[in-house]
Amino acid sequence: MSKTPYIHKMAAHCESGAVTSLLNNQGLSITEPQVFGISSGIFFGYFHKMKAFTFPTFIVRNKPGQMRKKVASRLGIRFHTEKFSSPEAGEKRLDELIAQGIPVAVQVDFFYMDYLPEWERVHINVHFIVIVGKEGTKYLVSDGYFPNLVNLEASSLRKARFAGGSMSPKGFLFYPEHIPNDIRYEKAIIKGIRQACFYMLKIPIPFLGVKGIRKMAKRIPDWPKYARDTEHLSHEIMKINVLLEDQGTGGAGFRFMYATFLQQAAGILKMPELTELSKQMMLIGDKWRELSLFAARIGKNRDLGPERLKELSALLMQRADDEERFFKELSRTIKNKK
Amino acid sequence: MKEKDSIVDCPQQQVILYVEKDDGNYGPVQTGSYMTGNFLDDYELKRKHLEESLRKKIEAKEVSPVYYYMVLEDLSLSELSARARIRKGKVKKHLEYEGFQKIDKESLEKYADVFNASADQIMSLLTGSVQGKEESRPE
Repeated sequence: MSKTPYIHKMAAHCESGAVTSLLNNQGLSITEPQVFGISSGIFFGYFHKMKAFTFPTFIVRNKPGQMRKKVASRLGIRFHTEKFSSPEAGEKRLDELIAQGIPVAVQVDFFYMDYLPEWERVHINVHFIVIVGKEGTKYLVSDGYFPNLVNLEASSLRKARFAGGSMSPKGFLFYPEHIPNDIRYEKAIIKGIRQACFYMLKIPIPFLGVKGIRKMAKRIPDWPKYARDTEHLSHEIMKINVLLEDQGTGGAGFRFMYATFLQQAAGILKMPELTELSKQMMLIGDKWRELSLFAARIGKNRDLGPERLKELSALLMQRADDEERFFKELSRTIKNKK
Repeated sequence: MKEKDSIVDCPQQQVILYVEKDDGNYGPVQTGSYMTGNFLDDYELKRKHLEESLRKKIEAKEVSPVYYYMVLEDLSLSELSARARIRKGKVKKHLEYEGFQKIDKESLEKYADVFNASADQIMSLLTGSVQGKEESRPE
């Protein structure tokens, strides 16, 4: 048996949560919103048709893996990372690290996390959990989406770490190897904000950033064409709420967490203008939440005619306008800051 | 969002939300999932209807048990093919009732792994449908 003393905390999101949790357990005092903001986590992308998905969908965060990479490069932290060609090698290495008392984050297919209720579990290869011990055939897991440390059978973890398909984990694991003694947050925060503004306003891809929100608004009235029947359409429309509120976003598609980051950044950078912007972002989040509640309501009532979908589209257009204004102002505010 | 507006009573699924606290500071609060707390029954109803309609399609020999699981687990053809490590053309055949009859043991085990079900569970959908047919046959 091996077990590392580990302080488990629930998190809003799995990747920012796992990174924060590993760093906190190594003694670094950093919050999840800081990890999220420094790594330019806030984002929007609309995917109308992709081979990996059965229905149009959207994302509200940057590419998986970027939170760890950006936090590392911007704060001077070094993470040890490994991938494996065989499940046997991946399991052996994980066991060695745990035996040495090193808590290790692993990338997994969310579907095999059988401690979570069935309705939550979907096939998505970019969930992150921290393995903190092993007893017999069970791993002790710190999952930011679960209130306590929990056990997971080795056979389930193996399936989850070596699931094939889109963004296959290939046994990927990481843990912090070096944390500098004197971390300067100021520059990292500014870089994080600048890149977030670029992602939201200027990224030259028509379905990403604010353009992505507008693309989704334009295409949502077409969604009935892709649904098997009304119940399927209802399910997909209600999934808007799940993706914005439930699946580890901290509410309103990460907008509430970004508001929290900006409030904390205002204190660190001594920029009261950012406090004002954090309040604006909180209000933008409230509007996203209104949209997600609207989606849940029309889905539940099967009230999914063209007029309702146009209303949903109009709400999305308003969110795009709000965010375009917001990120332009944020970009201006941070422009001359070094 | 104010902290008081974030509270949802749903012990089955807890989440972290970032909210405005009473002192004006923003921070995390642990609460229940809004969707699970309010709409789980609707999700389960739709799921039940989907399972029933897929079982009927198997009974009518329109689709295979692989198709049943693929739809229930919301996997695209490309994704299932990549996850099971079976080429797309072969998966397409296995989605059809007739094509599934010729499935080999190795492929069945690969699908079982992806679906987190046993090979017996997958096959039982077929047996269930055959029994169902026999039961409904007039004497």
